[in-house]
Amino acid sequence: MKQVFRRLGMLLLTMIIVSFFTFLAFELVSGDPALARLGTEATPEQLEALREEMGLNRNFLLRYADWLSGFFTGDLGESYVYRIPVWTLIAPKLEVTLLLAFMSFVLITVISLPLGIWSYRLSGGVPDAIGTCFNQLCMAIPPFFVGILFSWLFGILLRFFTPGNFPDLHSSFGAAFRHLFFAALCLSIPRSAMTVRMMRSTVIGEMQKAYVRTAISRGNDRRGVMLRHVLKNTLTGTITFLAQTMAEIIGASVVVEQVFGIPGLGRLLVASISNRDYPVVQVIVVLLAFWVVLAGTIADILNQKIDPRLRLGGDSE
Amino acid sequence: MKKRILAGILVLVLAAGLCTGCGSSGTSKDPQPTAAETPEATPTRASEITIGIAQDLDSSLDPHHATAAGTKEVMFNIFEGLMKPTASGDLIPAVASDVTVSEDGLTYVFTLRQGLTFHNGDPVEMRDVVFSIERNRDTSSGTALIPALSVIENIEYSDDKLTLTLSEPMAELLNFLTLAILPQDYTEAGKQDTQPVGVGPYRFVSRTAQDSIVFERFEDYWGTPGKLDRVTFRIIENVEGLIQGLQSGALDLVMHMTATQTSQLSSDQFYIEEGSMNLVQALYLNNAEAPFDDVRVRQALSYAIDKRGIIDLAFDGYGIPLGTSMFPSFSKYYDESLTDYYPVDTEKAKELLAEAGYPDGLDMTITVPANYQPHVDAAQVISEQLKAINVNVTIKSVEWQTWLSEVYSDRNFQSTITGLTSDNMTASKLLSRFETNAGNNFTNYSNADYDALWAKASSCPDDAEQTELYRAMERNLTENAANVYIQDMADLVAIRKGLTGLTFYPLYVLDVSTLCWE
Repeated sequence: MKQVFRRLGMLLLTMIIVSFFTFLAFELVSGDPALARLGTEATPEQLEALREEMGLNRNFLLRYADWLSGFFTGDLGESYVYRIPVWTLIAPKLEVTLLLAFMSFVLITVISLPLGIWSYRLSGGVPDAIGTCFNQLCMAIPPFFVGILFSWLFGILLRFFTPGNFPDLHSSFGAAFRHLFFAALCLSIPRSAMTVRMMRSTVIGEMQKAYVRTAISRGNDRRGVMLRHVLKNTLTGTITFLAQTMAEIIGASVVVEQVFGIPGLGRLLVASISNRDYPVVQVIVVLLAFWVVLAGTIADILNQKIDPRLRLGGDSE
Repeated sequence: MKKRILAGILVLVLAAGLCTGCGSSGTSKDPQPTAAETPEATPTRASEITIGIAQDLDSSLDPHHATAAGTKEVMFNIFEGLMKPTASGDLIPAVASDVTVSEDGLTYVFTLRQGLTFHNGDPVEMRDVVFSIERNRDTSSGTALIPALSVIENIEYSDDKLTLTLSEPMAELLNFLTLAILPQDYTEAGKQDTQPVGVGPYRFVSRTAQDSIVFERFEDYWGTPGKLDRVTFRIIENVEGLIQGLQSGALDLVMHMTATQTSQLSSDQFYIEEGSMNLVQALYLNNAEAPFDDVRVRQALSYAIDKRGIIDLAFDGYGIPLGTSMFPSFSKYYDESLTDYYPVDTEKAKELLAEAGYPDGLDMTITVPANYQPHVDAAQVISEQLKAINVNVTIKSVEWQTWLSEVYSDRNFQSTITGLTSDNMTASKLLSRFETNAGNNFTNYSNADYDALWAKASSCPDDAEQTELYRAMERNLTENAANVYIQDMADLVAIRKGLTGLTFYPLYVLDVSTLCWE
């Protein structure tokens, strides 16, 4: 129970710190939200009036305190640009991005776990070299490029989905799912390759350990040792790695959403930053921070379930 | 054994991609989605199109508050004013059915068109017209939305007649009266921002932030009705996305493309229309800051920069070279002879630089908004060209918002490349900004002759005389090399074959009412 409170406290603290720094960053970069709204033809008087209306003339700390209290009372504010409540703007995009992230996470897991173990079995020899080569290639290709390639191949040539026309998630889920699938695949290629490589080296490391030798000398076959002992030991590292992946997927989705024309959180974030739409940026950044911390927490809990030693330490960092 | 495993891995990787892809499309009982959409789309296709646009619209869709050119371009279809611009550059009565101007140019009488309704079903009444005009000349917040309307001294109206009395004649008043007429009650309730209502040929249906804007034909439009039932504008911020959208069939029309981009499209499916952007792209110089406070330095740059070279290199030869702050669509005011006022002459440029005290050349910075590729490209070519006269250029690429506040508002720059437009077909807009005290004179151009010409021109009742004054102002800008003028950029539009009726305006607008499928 204490654990849970501590975790919650950490989560809250992280989000507050992140939100503060975001606020601060916007205070420091040039660009004026009032000017962004009024454009090139604005007169100084109009600008001043709007700044006053938007409360931009007030002290920075006061504004932050206001925002924070709003955040905790469930009032996320209004988008400067779209003049609708931030949550109304974000909710549908969040849905799309979460689905995209979830799909690519599943893909990464499904692709990389079996491959990681197999690649150990291959180690040494020509096929291994080819495999490693292929693996590195997958890691090196930027998602942006793969995205364009996929759009062309699966979208324009094979017509599995229609680039430039993302269907509504609710009314035509099937088509939206197909569209998202290729984006998710594109996201998962480099991360899968990294996971495979990570697993491979962990498995190799584990197989050289004394307990493996003991197990084998007691007459167990390699396969059995692998499944019963080695895998379990590899898993904790892999889960931590996958948690990081989970966090990074969201970051990478910014690019992929652009390429595939998916109306998600990443695109909204980029646009909101360039429009100086602080209230929106603020909430997205906090959500991302929450996401990262959440992924870490889940990984810790899972790891503690798998590895009892971690439970004693209380913290697996 | 190992070989088999390797093969297994490769197959698995591919299978993970391909089979799941096929599988997921199979589960929707629709193995060929687009094939299934096509028969469905064919009947509706006759009356529906999707247009790709590269940026989202303004925050507010209220036409009196919208500022971005891209917003006005799209919303042109929703709103109409007392007067309305035509493709040939004339003004015709719209919400007014008739207008008469007195001899002395001081009294304008408009007759309200009978039986008009707004998109929300409300009748268009005189009070809406008066409200819309008053809203734009209201000075209670400091400056009026349209400062030029201050010339209106008195507004009198009955149910069907509106009489405007001016304090002094203004030839361009009707241009400003293209301002959108909005329903008073609805607008005062604050609904225009998100759910705009006007009297134009199309009515606004919905907007999804960063995704799309949907219009439908307004059935009770007073004039020639639109031909398409439904028009969707889809926002796709990156060029690859726009091109793929065209190729995949998701988009039917994309404006503002470059030659390199249109060359990627198959000519079996698309045709390209060439118009011009109606803007003045130039290397704008901060006339108040050294070294550009010296006319000789500005002239030296004008001699050294080869605008045709820029157009050939960075724009595949598309674009009309300019020599002053006016573009050819304003044929009445445009003075073509100024284009080559400064022929390319490196020697002359070096001489001028030496005279100005820079015999060894100088260093300069061009600040460019990074999101406008044409300006970035032009800056790069200029930087190469200026090497010939030992001018060393640093290109500082900034984000649009930074550009707006640092360069445009705070005038904290040495030189910049941008494109300046005129939104309501008033040539004066292009020229007024170079008057010494103009609020938007971001280049800090200051010339007594110019100011005198402007003072005379802005209150000149006679159109012919005013035209001459404008031309004199253009010449003044060129002779003093206020800026290094480059071009009016070409506007290439990719259109799906079968879709016809695109009309170019001397304005930055896209009229969808004339578009139709053959």
